Amino acid sequence: MDFVINFDFSSLFAFILFGLTIGVVYGIVALGISLIYSGLDIVHFAHGEVYMFGAFFGLVFSKTLGFPYPVALVMAMICAAMLGMFIERVFYRRLTKGGGGYTVAGMGMIICGFAMSIVLMNVAFLIWGAGAEPFHVDLGMPYQFGDITLPKSYALTALMAILLMGSLHYFLKKTKIGLAIRAVAANKDIAYLMGINVPLMISLIFGLACGLAAAAGVLIGPMQSVQVEMGYLMLLKAFAAAVVGGFGSLPGAIIGGLIVGIAENLGAAYISPNHKDIYAFLILILVLMFKPSGLFGVVARVKA
Amino acid sequence: MNKLYKNCLAGGLAGVMVAGMAIGAMAADIRVGITMRMISENGQKYGQMVMDEIDMINKSGGINGNMIKPTLMNDECKSDKGVANAIKLINQQKVHLLIGSTCSSVTLPIVDITAKASVPQIIPHSTNGKITKKGSAWVFRVPVSGRFYAGVNAKYVGENIGKKIAYLCAADAASQNDCEAMQKQMKAQHGSEPAYVAQVQEKEVDFRTHMQKIKSAGVDGILIAALAETMARALIQSYEAGIPASVRRIGSSSASNSPVPTIAGDAAKGVFFAAAYAAADNRPIARLFNEMVKKRYGVHAPDHDFSQAYDLVRIVEIALNNANLKLDSGSLAADRTAIRDSIASIKNYEGLASGPISFCAAATPQCRDGNRTAVLIAYSKGGKDYKTEVLARVTMPADFGL
Repeated sequence: MDFVINFDFSSLFAFILFGLTIGVVYGIVALGISLIYSGLDIVHFAHGEVYMFGAFFGLVFSKTLGFPYPVALVMAMICAAMLGMFIERVFYRRLTKGGGGYTVAGMGMIICGFAMSIVLMNVAFLIWGAGAEPFHVDLGMPYQFGDITLPKSYALTALMAILLMGSLHYFLKKTKIGLAIRAVAANKDIAYLMGINVPLMISLIFGLACGLAAAAGVLIGPMQSVQVEMGYLMLLKAFAAAVVGGFGSLPGAIIGGLIVGIAENLGAAYISPNHKDIYAFLILILVLMFKPSGLFGVVARVKA
Repeated sequence: MNKLYKNCLAGGLAGVMVAGMAIGAMAADIRVGITMRMISENGQKYGQMVMDEIDMINKSGGINGNMIKPTLMNDECKSDKGVANAIKLINQQKVHLLIGSTCSSVTLPIVDITAKASVPQIIPHSTNGKITKKGSAWVFRVPVSGRFYAGVNAKYVGENIGKKIAYLCAADAASQNDCEAMQKQMKAQHGSEPAYVAQVQEKEVDFRTHMQKIKSAGVDGILIAALAETMARALIQSYEAGIPASVRRIGSSSASNSPVPTIAGDAAKGVFFAAAYAAADNRPIARLFNEMVKKRYGVHAPDHDFSQAYDLVRIVEIALNNANLKLDSGSLAADRTAIRDSIASIKNYEGLASGPISFCAAATPQCRDGNRTAVLIAYSKGGKDYKTEVLARVTMPADFGL
């Protein structure tokens, strides 16, 4: 298909709105990726599958067990957090003990993440099958802004994302556990010396990150349905968001998510709708070329 | 005593060998290779139906006393896996006949392999017009070709809905072909140019930008050509974007698959599409088939991929019965040719398909697109207990759309 420049500016607001609603979801997943990176200096490549598991957990709580949607969201977050902590404790702990980032153990951890991604996908396939599952949430009539129709699920997604980010910010900045997590993220050895239970904090980081991924999965469910293969593309987009915002930067992850979401929607609307996924990765490449540390990231260095 | 024992043993062994050879000469296996997309629940059930029907043939005595030995492989709708399956089935399993595949993008490269290896291939589900246009003398198609579907859809759309149509086309071979054929037919029949065309990824999940643009374009209808789950998402998002129900949603033939109404729910209501079989068909054979599929596979209403899998096995059964197979160690090539010629001689097979299926010897689409009857179906209710209604049934001329 040809690239067609089509300046349909009457719908510009709608395209930005769509970009924002999907962008916050990228941002939430990227937040988890950044959180794990800031704690362990590694990229968790099974995070897309945790997001998928979270969506299925939400579906089970909402559809099978009949919980209201917000309750299902919280329950899914708790289950995914427990899953993340279990994975970290049972499978990753031996490797993380050896170090993260640029160490051999760090590389092993990345490979282990890939393997975990395949394992989780196959487990999900065995439990829920390969077919897409509808995740209907009846929130009433959509909002109407002139010619633009905005379903309430989109607005709820944005609202929940802001709430989650606010809560995470408060937790990390204003609580003792948050302070301990930040200390572990800054320097694990010194954190040990300060009497912080580092393995527990790393488990908590994993739990938090996986809970966030689950929230994103439950929020996206009503928009896109739920499927075993849903994690792969989300991981790539969230990864792009984390890189654009600056790896390890929590506000950067959210801003990166919004940039990626808006860019792909505007690109699809005004450059070519046939290559929607290109725009996220084009931005990723440009950022890596001209500002490798990302918009809000620190200059890459090996931690002590 | 020892000599007597040895003589008895030798005699016994010789007897067993002779008896074995005699049995071997009397009954041998007809090896059938099957490669299908079995990554979804329904996909697995289509494959299972083929296996179950073959099993029933074997239980009722087989083909002239010979058993059919099927080997079912999953190609996951991936060309590389489909090609690997076909090569393995042809060269290692030495199959007499190849059934496959579900997806056009897989079937297309397999056609070249079966043509080169001189193995008859019969297709259960793939609709891409290019499959039979390749000119292979070894390929036969049981489903309705996309060119016939496009003709029926375009006629109905132009006469009943309007001429301003938007097209959302997924990147898989069948959807691309459906989209192109429909645009071609809308142009040929009504002089209509597309109001909006976009290609989307095979498993695209976010259509909102497209839907907003389609809404702004003020179209009469939207053709969504995609695999079932992708189509269901697009249908839901078309309503979320505020496109009214008066803008008719037209599906490609995969709209027949149950995930469309199941996932799309209320958004499936009013969607119409051309397919080979309607569960709402009132013929006694269709009623019995619906009951059988419901009982055996727990499917609310069978789609045309079930009926096509069933018809395919019946056609294979007829062809094998008529093929006069030798089935000895040196007759593989001759048996393959005999099966091909036997399938080519099938005329006016009446089964679940909405019209008769006929093949002929020439390696042309006119001869190898055996099913020319498309039935136009609309969903009158979405959700798990979805309902369909038949809008029209049309048999197309053999050379239509070429």
